[in-house]
Formats: sequence, C-alpha cells, structure tokens
Amino acid sequence: MFRVLALSGLALCTQLAVSAASVDFVRDVRPIFQQYCYSCHGATQQKSGLRLDIKSEALKGGGGYGPSILAGNASESPLIELVTHDDADSRMPPEGQGPSAVEIATLERWIDEGAIWPDGVDLATLEDRLDHWSFKPVSDPEVPAVDGSDWPRGTIDRFVLARLEQEGLIPAPPADAVAWLRRVTLDLTGLPPTGKDVSEFLRALKDREAAYSAVVDRLLKSPRYGERWAQHWLDVVRYADTHGFEVNTERPQAWPYRDYVIAAMNDDTPYDRFIKEQIVGDATGEDAATGFLVTASVLLPGQIGRDGPSMRLARQDALDEIVNNIGHTFLGLSVGCARCHDHKFDPISAKDYYSMQSFVAGVEYKEREMHSRQAEASRKEADSLRQRMAEIDKQLIRFVPFARPRSERNAEALVSETNTSVDAQALARDLSLRQVVSPSVNIDCFAPVTAKRLRFTVLATNSLEPCIDELEVFNTAGENIAISNLGTTVTTSGDTTVANRHERRFINDGEYGNSRSWMSNAVGKGWVELEFTEEHEITRVMWGRDREEKFKDRLASEYRIEVASGEDWRLVADSTDRLPPSAATKESTPFRVSKLDNDEKQEANRLLEEKQGLHAKIKSAERGQIAFAGTFRKPDDIHVLARGDPERPQQPVVPAVLSAFGDVALPDETAEQQRREALALWIASAENPLTARVMANRIWQGHFGIGIVETANDFGRNGAKPSHPELLDWLAQELIRSGWSIKHMHRLIVLSATYRQSTAQNMIAASKDADARLLWRYPSRRLEAEAIRDCMLAVSGQLNLTTGGPGFNLFKQRGGLSGFTPIESFTDDGLRRMIYAHKVRRERDAVFGAFDCPDAGQSTPRRIESTTPIQALNLLNSRFTIDQAEAFAERVQAEVGEDVSEQIRHAYWIALSREPMHDEIIDAEPIVRQHGLATLGRALFNSSEFLFFP
Amino acid sequence: MLSRRSFLADSATALGSIALVNLLGTDRLLANRPNIQPDRPFAPRESHHLAKAKNVVVIFCAGAVSQLETWDYKPELIKHDGQPLKDGPAVTFQGPAGNLARPQYRFRQRGQTGKWVSDLIPHLAELTDDIAFIHSLTSKSNTHGPAENFLSTGTPLDGFPSLGAWVSYALGSENQNLPAYVAIPDPRGVPQNGSNNWGPGFLPAAFQGTPLSSKEAIRHLSPPRVTAESDLAARTLLQRMNERHLQQNPGDFKLAARIASYELAARMQLSVPEITNLDTEPAHILKSYGADDESNPIRAAFARNCILARRLIESGVRFVQLFNGAYASGGELNWDGHNKLKEQYDKHAAVLDQPTAALITDMKSRGLLDETLIVWCTEFGRMPFFQKGAKGRDHNPDGFTCWLTGAGVKPGVSHGSTDALGQKAVEDVQPLYDFNATILHLLGLDHERLTFEHNGIERRLTNVEGHVIREILSA
Repeated sequence: MFRVLALSGLALCTQLAVSAASVDFVRDVRPIFQQYCYSCHGATQQKSGLRLDIKSEALKGGGGYGPSILAGNASESPLIELVTHDDADSRMPPEGQGPSAVEIATLERWIDEGAIWPDGVDLATLEDRLDHWSFKPVSDPEVPAVDGSDWPRGTIDRFVLARLEQEGLIPAPPADAVAWLRRVTLDLTGLPPTGKDVSEFLRALKDREAAYSAVVDRLLKSPRYGERWAQHWLDVVRYADTHGFEVNTERPQAWPYRDYVIAAMNDDTPYDRFIKEQIVGDATGEDAATGFLVTASVLLPGQIGRDGPSMRLARQDALDEIVNNIGHTFLGLSVGCARCHDHKFDPISAKDYYSMQSFVAGVEYKEREMHSRQAEASRKEADSLRQRMAEIDKQLIRFVPFARPRSERNAEALVSETNTSVDAQALARDLSLRQVVSPSVNIDCFAPVTAKRLRFTVLATNSLEPCIDELEVFNTAGENIAISNLGTTVTTSGDTTVANRHERRFINDGEYGNSRSWMSNAVGKGWVELEFTEEHEITRVMWGRDREEKFKDRLASEYRIEVASGEDWRLVADSTDRLPPSAATKESTPFRVSKLDNDEKQEANRLLEEKQGLHAKIKSAERGQIAFAGTFRKPDDIHVLARGDPERPQQPVVPAVLSAFGDVALPDETAEQQRREALALWIASAENPLTARVMANRIWQGHFGIGIVETANDFGRNGAKPSHPELLDWLAQELIRSGWSIKHMHRLIVLSATYRQSTAQNMIAASKDADARLLWRYPSRRLEAEAIRDCMLAVSGQLNLTTGGPGFNLFKQRGGLSGFTPIESFTDDGLRRMIYAHKVRRERDAVFGAFDCPDAGQSTPRRIESTTPIQALNLLNSRFTIDQAEAFAERVQAEVGEDVSEQIRHAYWIALSREPMHDEIIDAEPIVRQHGLATLGRALFNSSEFLFFP
Repeated sequence: MLSRRSFLADSATALGSIALVNLLGTDRLLANRPNIQPDRPFAPRESHHLAKAKNVVVIFCAGAVSQLETWDYKPELIKHDGQPLKDGPAVTFQGPAGNLARPQYRFRQRGQTGKWVSDLIPHLAELTDDIAFIHSLTSKSNTHGPAENFLSTGTPLDGFPSLGAWVSYALGSENQNLPAYVAIPDPRGVPQNGSNNWGPGFLPAAFQGTPLSSKEAIRHLSPPRVTAESDLAARTLLQRMNERHLQQNPGDFKLAARIASYELAARMQLSVPEITNLDTEPAHILKSYGADDESNPIRAAFARNCILARRLIESGVRFVQLFNGAYASGGELNWDGHNKLKEQYDKHAAVLDQPTAALITDMKSRGLLDETLIVWCTEFGRMPFFQKGAKGRDHNPDGFTCWLTGAGVKPGVSHGSTDALGQKAVEDVQPLYDFNATILHLLGLDHERLTFEHNGIERRLTNVEGHVIREILSA
C-alpha cells in the first residue's frame, strides 16, 4: 500500500533540533494534529474513517488502512508515511502547508517513545452510537398512575393518559358506537360494515362490552382481515407483479407470496415464525414465503450489459435490495447506508453491511418449484393430465391431412394463390384445402422423408417481421428432433434480437409464447434452417406464432417447408393448399373438422372436447406450483467494497450479524440455507431489541395512521423519537408474551379507550399538538387507495370476494416497456379486492393511484396522505365511479323499491352506516327525482364522510 | 357556525402555523421542508435563494443521443475512421466492440462562437450562440432503465422522486388551475421506465407529473354518460355534503383541503381544454414548428407537443418535461442507435430538430426565456467505435453532452470535454448529479437543502453528491 520510505537521514538530522525531554502529547503532539489534521479527521469529518481527536478512535485508525499509529514504531506507522510521502498527491494534508520537518520529527519521537496518549485529556468525547433507545433491551415499563382513573380500559390507556396529563390535555369524548363499528370494520377489514352488521351491533349493545369484543372477534375471523392487513406488509416489502426497470416485464409467479402473506395474517401466524418463513421458509415447507427475499426491482439477464463491470454491479444491486429489505422490514434500520461508507448515524459499518450480504449471497431472483404437499399433489395431477393431453394430441394427428405443396399439384388449379376473386364462402367449401394458417399452432404432415436439414421460409406475413415461437419437427417415432438440447443447430436469414424475448435460440428451445420466440429482421420475410445431428425419417412439422395465443400479428401467412439430406432441397409442405385468411371459418383446430366423415367427426369432437376440459384442469393444477420466491445456490464470496464499487473489493467477509447488536458469525464454508437460518434466528428472537418494537409499532400505525415512532422503517438514531417510549416497550413485550400474536395486539388496541375516542377537534390541544400524536383524539385520516375502491364495490354490491391466484388487470398490459393503457370498465375478476390486482411496478392505477398508492419502487413504511385535484377528477369522473354509482342505484332500488325518500335513507345507510338527517333528505330528494339515484351515489362516493375513518 | 370560506381563510394563518407545532422534537425532519398548505399544495413557495429561472422545460431525448453525431466535434475520430481503438474495451454493453467510426454527419461551424455542430440538426445548430453545452457529463449506469432513472430522479433505482416532483414540491406553481408539473410523452410512446420519469417516488402524490399531450388530454376531465345538468347536480349535492360534514368536524384541516381540491379540479376542467386547444395558434406559428406538415405526422405531433409546452409555460406551469423518443425498440422509436444509426437518426432528427428549435426561438421572441430555463438532455452517450458487425454505436456513460439555455444560463459556452475520440470525459468531468444540482440552483434551490426524510435518510435529488457547474451560469 504505502511505500516505506527511507527517512532515517531526515530523522537523524531533525532529532538534533528536538530537545531531549520526552514528547508530551498535549503540549507537543495535539497542536500538530489540530493544525494539520482535524479539519478532515476531527469532530465534523472523519475522512477515510479516521478520527484523530479522540484517543480510542485515533489508535483504531481509519477504515481502509487499519491502525495508523504503531506505538514504538514510527517508521512503520502509516501516519508518518502519509505525512512524509514523496508523492505530493498522496501526501497528507492534501491541501495547504504540511507539518514542518521539526513537527514531523516530534510525531516520530512521540510514536517511537510509545505514543503515550494520556486518558482524559481529549477535548472531544466520542458519542456512543449504541446509546440509543431502540438499541437497548426492551424494558418492562411500570404502568403509570393516572388521575383520570375512570377513563382507562386497559394498560394502553394508562400510558396514553399519563402522557396527556403531563401536557395538561384530556382525551376526546368517545366516538358513538356506530362510528366505532365503522372505524374498526374499515380498519380491520378495509370494508364498511353492512347494514346488517350495524343493526346487529346496535341490538347487541345492551350487553355493552360484550358487543364490542364480539365485533372484534368476528372481524378478526373474517378472511377480509388478511386481505386488508397483508396490504400494509406488502407496502413495506414493495411487492409487485413486474420486474421493474426499463423492460418492466411481468413477474407472473409473484402472487403466491402475496397469497402467503394474506394467509399468514388470517392464520395469525406467530410473528417470529412469519419472519423465519420469509427468510428461510424453504426449510420448513413454506416455499412461497421466501418471495420476500426477491420482491425488489431487478434487471433481467438480457438487460444487463455484457461487460464484466455491468454484471458485477447488477449482482451487487440485487443483493443490496435483499439486505435493505431485511433491514427496513424487520429491524427498522437503514442498513443499506453502509454500502458505500460506514453508517453516518447508526453503529453499522461497511463491514457489517457486507457481512449481512453474505447471509443472502446465494439468493438468485428466480422462480422456484414449490414443494409443499399441496404443490406436490397438484404437480402429479398436472403431469398425468398433460400425459393424457399428449395422447389426445397424438390421436388427433391422424385427422390432419397431408400437405400438398405446389410442386405436387402442378397440374391442378392453384385456387388459393391465383384465383383471389373466388368468394370466401365458396373457398371455405372447398374441402381439398387445408386449415387456414393459425397464429397459435399449425401442423404440416407429409409422407415420411429422410432429412438432415429442414428449412422453413416465410414468404409473407399478416404484418411486420415474421415471428415464430417454436418450430418442431417430428420423426416417425413421434419425437421432436428439432429441439436444441438434442444438438440441433439453427441458422437464419437474420434476427431481430430483443434480449429474453426474441432471440434466435428460442426457436427450438422447447418453450412456447411470444417471450420465447424468434423474429426475423426483415419485414414480411425470413428463413430458419435447422440442422439435425443425424439423418431422420421425418413426417410432421409443427409451428406457431404464439401458442399462448396472446399475439396474432407477425404471422407467416405464406411459407414453404423444404428438407435436404444431401445438397438438394425438396419441398414437403407450403401454404398454397391452405385456406386463405379471408376464408377462415370458426374452427380453430389445426385441421378442418367439417372435412371429416361422420365417424371421424364424432371421434375428433370427443377428443377436442376432452382436450378443452384438460386444458382448464391443467391450468388450475399448475397454479401455485411455481413461485417467484428465489433460487438458492452456492453463495458468492463477499468482500467489503471500497465506496460500494464492485471493481474495488477489499477484505473478504463471512456471514455475521450487525456487530453492535450481536456476535453471530458463521464460518465461510457454511451452507447457503444454514446462513439464512442463522440470520432468521437472530432476527426472530425476543432478545433482539428491534424486532418486536418495530412490529408493535407497525401494528399501532395500522390502527392510528401513524406509529408511536413516525419513521416505521427507521428506528435508528436518525429516525423519529417515539411519542410514547414506555407504551411501545410495553406493546413489544405484550407481543412477545402473547406468543407473537398479531391478532392479540389488534384486540387490545381496538378495544382500548384510546382507540374509541371520537375525532373531535380541540383547539387548545391542537395548538399544542396539531397532529394529535399524543392521541387526545382519534386522528383524522383518509382511507387508502385500495380501501376506497373496495368500499365503493362493497357498497355498490359489485364486490367479487374470490380470493387468491393471479391478479386481475388494471391495465391492458401485464408488463412490458411500451406503456400501460388503463382498463376503464371492470367486470368479474376486475371487481375483486384491489390487493388482488396485478401490480405493475411504478405504474399507479389510473383512478386510485393518485390517492398515494405506492408504486413498489421503494419501500413504503407509511402512506403519505395528500389531497390533490387529480384525486377529485378521478373520483368524480372516472368510468369506474360512474359504473359503480349506477350499480349502487340499481342495488338500492332493488332493495327498497321506488319510494325516493326510502331510497335516500337506504343509500345513506349502506354507504355511511347511518340514517340521513332531515336536511340531507331535503337536499337529495329533488336531485334524485330529477337525475336519478346514481347521482346521489356519485356524490356519496366522493363525500369526505365516505372517504375518511369516522 | 363556522363557514367554510372563513375557515379556509383562517386555516392558512391560524392552523397553518400550529401545524408546525410539534411536541416530539421531530423538528429536525421539518427544518428543511417547504411549508405546504394542505388545501393549496401548489401554492407558490419561496426558493432558497434568488432564482434566475422560475420555470423549466426539460427536453428529454430517450434512448441516448450520440454526442458524436451531434454536439461533440472530434476531428481525430474522422482521421481514425475504420481503425481499431488501441487499448479500448473488448466488450461493451451489447457485445464485442468493432472499429472506430467517423461521425455519420458533417460538422460545420455555427454562429458567432463558431461552435462545431453537425448537419443532423440544422435548426438547433443555428441556436448555439445562446446555448451552454456541457460536454463532459457522466452517468452511473450504462443501461437505459437505470440511466433514465438516474437522469430523471438522481438515482439508478426505481421509486425515487423525479426532478420535476422535487421542483414542484419545493416551489409550487404560479398557476393554480393547472397541474404544477406536466409530462408530455412522445407521440411514439412513453420513454423507458415510463412514468418513473415523472413519478413522485416517496414525495406526496400531489407533486407527480401529470401526463398530458396534444394527443391525449388529462384523464377524467369529464364523466362518461352523465349530462351536464346531472353533473352539476351531483357536484352541488357533494358540496353540501362536504360542507355539512366539515361543520360537524370543525377545524379539521384535511376535510377543508378536500373541499378545496374539488374546487381546484373544477377550475382545471375549464383550463386544461383551453390550454390543449391549439386552434387559436396562428398559421405562421404552426408552420414554424412544423405542426402543419402532415407529410411527417410524427414530427407534426411532436411539434404540437412543443407548442403545448410553450403554452403551459406561458400559463405559469412550473415544470414541463417534453419527451422525444419512446421505449426500447431496436432504435426505431428512440435514439438507441446500435445497428443502423444513420438510417434511424435521419428519421429521429427530422422529428426533433425543427419543432424544438422553433420552441426555443418562439419562447425567446415572447420574452419567456427571461424566466424560463430550457434543458436538453439524454441519459448517456455512445461509443466512438461501431459495434462489431453493426453500423451503430453502443452505450457510453463515460462522456456525453447535454445543454442548457434560457434564464440564468451563460450563452455560447462549451464546458468540459471528452478525449480526442469522444469516449471519456477528461476535462471538467461532471457527473449527472452536477447537472441536476445546477438546474436546481438556477431555480433558486440549494440541492443540499432540498430534502425529504424517507426510510431513515434525508433524501436529496443529488444523494450525497453534486456541485453546481458555475462556469455555465450567467453573471
């Protein structure tokens, strides 16, 4: 690193100038440091991690260099080397006059004499970065005494009231019973109470307290609860159904993780287990749970540059996202800050950061087969269904007529190519013609022929450059010999390459669909030539544009298929004997059923019908077998990276937890899964000072809109201080005591007097605490985007309560780079709860996105609540609102009939859980009479009362 | 009973001030924050220092415009055409490197300054006397997605606030009847990363860019299937409901803000169609932009977007982001000239050149450039050599050109330079952080003070970097 300089000469002559008395640190040395070093290595800055104004730090040295002062050995001490470096660029200080020869000699003598630095002389004190409330063990706080002893219903209330009394504030009066019911129902399920819920509650109220807890029990048992609370969690882990970045491709198997979170919430999975499953669920059969590790945006292989630095940076970014996710979500720490330098505020060094990376350095952002019992069973089922499907396909082949390419028909009239004036219907009746070319799959059968090579030439397309998703060639034994893993090679006329979508190799990779296809580089033409490893007797070619049936463009409408074993090519099939597209019939089979005789027809139809049934069954059996939950391999070797730069690796690290918080460190050879297990155990522990506090705070935030710690992802020294530190500790203890039951915490909170307060303003209290952080009232807050949509659907009677599975579309595209066109009108699946929407990263829903709906780019610890005119336009004028207002009108009418004032009463009852006041009926009546009930519905959906927690 | 009007009037003063009262010592979080009135999120706000520019038009060329075919004249590259680059990289972003390739267009000297600019962009080339070029920019990524994020949001990652969001968050807007920040997508489609380029990230959604173009108006300006009478009836009813609700919950700021947002929306419904209606533009204006020339419909559509940009700025909109070029398409729809650079650039420049030049000239002649900054930018540059077996250049984040003109910008300067072949910035190297810091500076904002706390970090547009490029500021 540093050149060791021969300084003896210099040392010798300067020694003469220095008095024989020994060097005193305070008198002789510190002034030199002060003059030359402290501006960069003192209290305000510690460049390269070196601080020279505090003994312990100075002797420890800087980040990259180790100890800079070696007592008794000045010539080896980096400090001396640096101030005497002969290269001006490397010499310290970098700017201005450096220490004189005499001063350097003083430093040398001081070090050689043992670098004596007396204790207690430092002018600065080191702040103890561990001296921070959240880094200390969770306390067992004493429940405070309060004056207003009839207000508290439980321990929570005592903590809250004690704090209010301290400020001379009093709690707001309780909300009325129905307001509480509406609040708690919205809060726990994200849906409003039904009319029946309200009337039953009012009836049960004569037992007072029991009625409240019965409601809470009912809500916590409802599957709607998990759908609501999982959203809070998904915000934090920035869950989405696309990969992000420029291509933003669909991540089609992400949803099993979303469904896992919903189920975990509904099952009240103990929080410690919930953590472990998300980090290492593969060890316990909870495969989908590890979707947590790979929720971030990621560059797919094709989007990463081919150069080494690009690839290393992409990998580092991918690992960084995992470490950040773990740090924010479970520990409330911004660990990622230490990627480039030691954390500025928290006791997290760059080495800590990379040691954390080392736990997850074997994780890849990929799909993985699920191995739960259920997944295994449906996998078996799908396999046998697919087998049956293959048998049917084989049997259907016999109905496919042989192709009669032009050369074989030289004497016949070439109807389809020459006689375009013949009308389409007449053509369709010409049974000698084969089925029209289909965008999904086409079969060309011919008499067995020996071939070493096969060429598929496109002569025309229905649009643009031709695209083929798979070209299969079958020998007489029925095996596809074109597939690349048999060694078949491909040449083409030229390719349009879009990485991971259109590539030459995809033409025979055995995978279907547009995203695994070949595209020519010329409009309307192109050819593909396959060369087999040996000669085969072949009899059939199958090909398609997109067998997933999403794309119909770029279809080879005219083509020829030729084979060769030596030099000569022979035409075996072409499109000249196929029906032209203008004559296409309704039949979508690869052969024309109408062409068959009666017996054949019957048989073919039977098989086709069975096939259709199988198709649906396979689809459902395939669901949930694969999840985007990461794959695990031998971990990368991880090094500390200077300034986070992958091109500048420093010392290697082993998996180890943040050194300030624990001493778990694993040997380098620890297997991948064991690494994650060790990490999970350390986090999911009652001893970890952060874990329970962070979660207790998230639960509290869910109920009040803001946590006891406002910065829910940052419990570090830069985060906000808790408004009620003792209460938070008590809640954390209670969470642990309850066996980490989240539902237990909900029950405590929503039944508390604190939660039951009204939202009533109090100018005196507001003048002290405008945001009601001390909870002198229930803080006013708007529903979140998802809740607004769900509530509108619930009220309009349109809500579809189907749970789980792939998300419904908010846009016409499920991923991709060419922009997202919003769907405006929703039916069926589109009327499910919004948590089941296919979440396109960074693309906010066209109507509800403006309500601060996170875009899954970064973690959202808490929803910001903004109010904008765009929200108003969306909620007033979107097709969604108008549709729902009309459905609402129909529902109201169906339930109460034609009497307008009854209708208004009922509308208020359903939408706002209350009867309208007299004035409200007076306002609404003429409008409903003149413009219809939908007008009232539209107004109600936009009303503040509908949009706010009561 | 408290009337809504008086409440709103009071709220700005009484409640507005107590909103800052905080018992919990989190003032640190508020110290740097603009004071945003919940009922008037777009109200104009004070800048940190005296602003040279009040508004901005950012012309964003997606796909990475080659500096070597446009603004960065490299005679040495002409000399070494066809030769291999000694000690050059063997493999770049898309694959193996080929030989050095001369600029595909002829360069000439222009204007008083004699600036060398290529014939690719003859109209823009005429404006060089007013422009400050930065030839030595560098990006943190050589991949379009992260690099466009970096240009638009100051970080290569997804989900951070865009420059326009930061600016409207800091400064609000002069016009309360239009969005503070408008993003105008290219007629050919959205840029790479789509709306992340104008997203709010973790800032309040109020500050996101509203997409609007001459082709597509703001969504949901009017309801489907509802007559004007019943529309009015619904709004009247809604207003009564909300006012009554506010009366029952006196002093609730959020409820007052909601009512205000509906009023603002109503005004927007009137002013947006007005601003997008270009029928009032005289024929000579349409002609000067190329908006009347239907022989090139893409250029005509982009030209209309340029006119729209001017009209928005005239109306006091704070930040307009005008996109030229769409998503990844093998260079067909944007500036990503990997394979057929010349063929594709001929088409793209025809779209960009005349309308953009007309926009600047038109704004200048109307005096709008006294208060408006115009930024021309692209996410990175391109390599001096062709890709092996191709007639195009690969991605190059190590040295590229963007420029500024208008309010606060020193005219006719060229700052920084790349090496003799135009591969790497060597003199006055300016990471894009500096570019963004400079834009904020011109708007009166200190990039180190414009912050927002998110996940434990006081986030800035410039992260922990950024130096204002003073050499290109006017005195």
